[in-house]
Order: sequence, then C-alpha cells, then structure tokens
Amino acid sequence: MYKHNVTKKFNLYIFNYNQKMNRYTIIGKIGEGAHGLVLKASDNASPIPKIVALKRILLKRIEDGIPVSVLREVKTLQQLKHPYIVELLDAFPAGLDFVMVFEYMPSGLWEMLKDYDKPLRDSHIKIYMKMLLEGVAYMHSNNIMHRDLKPANLLIREDGILTIADFGLGRLMWENNSRPYSHQVATRWYRAPELLYGARFYSSAIDLWSVGCIFGEMLNNSPLFPGDSDIEQLAIVLGHLGSPTAESWPELTSLPDYNKITFPYNKGILWERIIPDAQQEAIDLIKSILIYDSSKRLTAEEALRHEYFYTKPYPCSKMQIIIPPNDHRVRLKPKEVKTNVKSTTLFKNLLNIL
Amino acid sequence: MFPLSSQKKYWSFNDENDIAVLREETNAEFISKHGASMTEEKREKHFLSVGEERVLQRFYESQLKEFCKRFNPPMPKPTIATALHYFKRFYLRNSVMDYHPKEILVTCVYLACKVEEFNVSISQFVANIMGDREKASDIILNNELLLMQQLNYNLTIHNPFRPVEGLLIDIKTRYPAIENPEKLRPYIDEFLEKVFLTDSVLLYAPSQIALAATLHAASSVNANLDNYVTDILFSRDHLTAIVEAVRKIRSMAKCVEFPPRDLVKNLEKKLDKCRNQDNNPDSDIYKQRMQEMLDEEDLLDNEKYAKIVQNQADHDEKVLGVTNVLSPTDT
Repeated sequence: MYKHNVTKKFNLYIFNYNQKMNRYTIIGKIGEGAHGLVLKASDNASPIPKIVALKRILLKRIEDGIPVSVLREVKTLQQLKHPYIVELLDAFPAGLDFVMVFEYMPSGLWEMLKDYDKPLRDSHIKIYMKMLLEGVAYMHSNNIMHRDLKPANLLIREDGILTIADFGLGRLMWENNSRPYSHQVATRWYRAPELLYGARFYSSAIDLWSVGCIFGEMLNNSPLFPGDSDIEQLAIVLGHLGSPTAESWPELTSLPDYNKITFPYNKGILWERIIPDAQQEAIDLIKSILIYDSSKRLTAEEALRHEYFYTKPYPCSKMQIIIPPNDHRVRLKPKEVKTNVKSTTLFKNLLNIL
Repeated sequence: MFPLSSQKKYWSFNDENDIAVLREETNAEFISKHGASMTEEKREKHFLSVGEERVLQRFYESQLKEFCKRFNPPMPKPTIATALHYFKRFYLRNSVMDYHPKEILVTCVYLACKVEEFNVSISQFVANIMGDREKASDIILNNELLLMQQLNYNLTIHNPFRPVEGLLIDIKTRYPAIENPEKLRPYIDEFLEKVFLTDSVLLYAPSQIALAATLHAASSVNANLDNYVTDILFSRDHLTAIVEAVRKIRSMAKCVEFPPRDLVKNLEKKLDKCRNQDNNPDSDIYKQRMQEMLDEEDLLDNEKYAKIVQNQADHDEKVLGVTNVLSPTDT
C-alpha cells in the first residue's frame, strides 16, 4: 500500500522546501550553468561525510517556467542507471527554484587534458575511451541521445572513473523519422558535420562524432577542430577530411544549408598527419568514426569491438587509473591578473635588466 | 519499458478499492484539519464529501479533454493522455478543496506539453485560455513545481498508443483471418478517449488497455479476434486474468457518464466557500506570501552567495598562494 505522507498545505509545502534544503550545507561554488549555479555542498543526512553537487535552477528569471532541458535531464537520468553515467540523487523545489542533487565529482576530462603536469598515457586514453563508449552504448540502447558530449561534460569521480553528465540536451529519439529535432545542439567543436549543414533529422551517430573529436583531443592533447564560428568550423572539418563527394557523403545535397555555402576543393590531410604520434589501431578507429556519412559511422557497440582495445598497451586497470586531486578545478583555474597596473610598474625589473 | 517504470512501481494499484481508500483518506484529512472546530453536522454541510470531490474531478477531466482538443496548434493524443494521467495522480493525495481543479488542469496540460516534447511557449499556451491570460500564466508557473513534486518527479507516462501499434502490426502479420485491420483504428481511438476518463490507467498496464481497445473495436465492426487472443497471443494459464482485465476495462469505459451541469454548478459554489484560501491566488494571504517569498529570495541570494564566494576565494588563496598580482609599492 502507498504511504500517505504527502504534505498538503502550501505553507507546509514551503516549510518542506527549507527542510529539504537544510539537509545540505553549501560550502562552495563549482560553476555556473545556463540556468543557474552549481554549488558544492555537504549532505548532513549522510552517516559518513558526503559531498554532493547541487544544480540550482533559478526559475524566477525564466519566462516559461521549468525549462524543458531540466525535464529532459530528470526524465533521462531516471531511466539511465549505469556506472559511467552520472546519478541523480534527489530533486526538490527550494523557494522559487528547483534543485537537483548529484554525486560530487572533483574533476573532469577537461581538467585532465588541461593538467600538463600529468599527461595522459595511451593506456589511460584507452580506459577513458572504453568507459565513454560503454556509457554511450548503454544510453543509445535506451533510445536516448546526449547531443552535447565534450570533455567538460565528462566528469571524473574521486576514484578516477569517468561519468557522462549534463543531459540537458539529452532526449528520447522519435520512433520514426517523422518529427524534426533542433540542429542547434552540441558545442561547436564537437558538432557533427550534418548538424553544421542544418540537418533536422539526425541520429545517435552525432554523439559518435563528438566521441571521435574527444578521442582525437586526448591523443593530440589539443582540440581537433577548434572553430571560432560555424562557418569556420565547417571549413576546418572539410580542410582535414577533404571535400565531401557524392560517394563519401550521399545525403549532403539534401541538407538544408547545403546551397548556402560552398568551399573550394580540398583534398584533406592524412589521419597519420592529423594525429602524428598515435598507434595504427588508434588511427584506424578514429578514421571509422569521423566520417561524413553518418550511416557508415561506427556505433558505440561496434567501436567497443575495435581491435584498438585489444592491442597493447591495453586499457589500464582500475588500480592504475589516474586519481584526480581533490582541488583539481581550483588548481587549474586561470589565475587572476590585475589589469589596471601600469606596465612600467609591472615590468620594472625587466626595464632594469635592459 | 513499462515493467521497470515508475508508473508500474508507484502508480499502478491492485484494485479499485485501494484507490477509493486513498481518496477517502485525502478527503478526511482535509476536513479534519480545516473543520476542527465544527460539529459533525456542520462539517457535512460545509465541506465536499469524497463523492462530491469525485464528481468535480470527473467534470474537470472532461473539461481537460475538451481544452486539449480545442488547443491550437492541434495537440497530439499522447500529450492529452499524459495530462489526464497527471491530473488523476495529483488528486489521489490532494483534495479538490486544497487545490482548485481548474488551476491544476491547466498546469497538468502545460507540464505534459513539455514532457511529451510538444513545445509551446507559455504565451502561446495561455492564448488558448479565455479570460485573464497573465493571471493564468502566473497560476500555471506557480503550480508547476508543486505538480512535479506531487508526481514524485515520475514524469514519464506509458500510454497505450504504442502497444496499439504493436497489436495492429501483429494482427496483420500473424492473423490474416481479419480483413484490413486498419479499419479498427477509429473505433480504437474512440474507445481510448473514454478509457482516459476512467481509473483504468491507474489499474492496468498500457498493453492491457490497448488489447481491450482493439477487442472492443473488433466487436464494433463485427470482426472476431477471439481466436487471435486464445490461440496466438496467450497460453491457457494466462488467459483467465487477461480476459478478466479486458472485461473490466471495457465495462469501466462503458460506464463513463458526465455529471449533470446543475449539480456541478452547486458543487462549485460549495467549493468556493470551503476551499483552502491559502492556495487561492485571489486571496490576500496567498498574494502576501508570494511577495514575501520573492523578497526573501533576493535577500538570501545576494547575502548568502556573497559570503560563499568570499569563503571560497579565501580558501583558494590559501591553496594557490597568491591569486592576484599586486603592484609593488614604491619606496
């Protein structure tokens, strides 16, 4: 039987907000999202000290009430339970806001890539790729696409495990191709070429493109296609992969923005030169993911079976995985420099030397 | 997948009695809280009984359906079904006297639009509402979090539309005895519309409802699917339970009736007197509290976060050493 304990009155309801919020003591700020703050907090109800991340959505400033992106995130995370996908621990209203509670992650792949003191070794890249692809394969098998995979959305737990986070753009795929999706998804550097050409009917293959870009970024330790605008993004991708042909990209001519822009012919660059230091299997894998024709792109399942994962150096074991320092984010935060200091003062010593 | 869903786990009841008990508790709790100082006789006269609450709920369910059907742009069927589902769930544990059904009705539809990806903005939405649109949008946005919480954030609804498609495909491939199964469609849709006005969705799996709809449609066109069910779909041991479920769903759909207009009018008058003024957007106490919350928020935000940011800056400074490049003082 169902327990009958729901608070009924509105004033009780407000009381309940605060009670829920009292469970957490805010101890810091992690970052700012599109709809509000992400705060670091300790969970007072936990028997052992536990740190959580609170994502606070400020509804007051949002015209249409609770954003669809938040509903999508709640819905998808309720459905997805996987070791490499972030877990939604709790959700509740607080005052006029809405709070989502996640496990606290001290680091992320973005930080790992930025941390030049500890470059990623091949075996580390392999284990990250394996975890990422397993998470993606699981979510695709549940008919959910993420649509915004990038290093900043791949968090690293204190035990070094990678988890996919931020499902704000995640959505259920339609059963058939009857309704369009938005093409303004995915952060530009990781956005699939069909999206850059304005495709409204696309598939989970767009996530694989992002995975391919992340893979290249780990191998090179710098972003693969860092475009400053959508046009430049396309130019960079075409410059690397070469001009598409009817054979390499059959659907291109049917994409909405195909006629809007043409690029000069370009024969592209060999993958061996784009990623100079990688082993042959890594090149083979990225070559079969970063291709124009989305129907030919490897699926996450297929990528996991690629020989890359079964050749030396093997993916490192859970024992050898990199443990992020607890203050990883803070440490990598750009240091502030006072700009209103006169250059003569700042370079005083230098002038003396000269 | 329905078997693993929150719908099955938290929102599917064993029988009608369980639901009736829950509704009685909800009604009794409201009356005992708000009528503590009244005599038994006065309470009966002042408050809505559980039966009266049901009349209003049923009336507003049909209003909800009408609102959705007139909605511009045209609303897809699953969105309507999801909204009705939310409405039913909400009033299992909340009294009509606590939250007026006309307010919850629009909030349910608005949330269902978002969840079912039928994307309309709030202004587009309230353009479908007669009367004060600004007030309507305030009511919806103020109730949205309440509704989500009362749904326990179980937002995904499994509707019978997909199982219907599955059954039709299956009939086409495995039971050619029936000619042109597509002709069943209008009857299936008609039946499902009635089903959504009953408690069936709180009692049966979407696939069972889909089967009941398909069998009902078959009998409407004098086609016979009995052998399909007994020989192809189920083994003997499962048959009794399925047949019983289908019979029950069909009889519930048959009993759908609309409460007489004058009865509803009287009950609405009664509701205006006994409703919880704390939740009435027109009451002074409600307006005052909303304002307090808005003011408090601003204060809290600014003070609290200023302090947190300062604390963190201090901490960072300790960890990093120097955060700012300071200008050397001239000597």
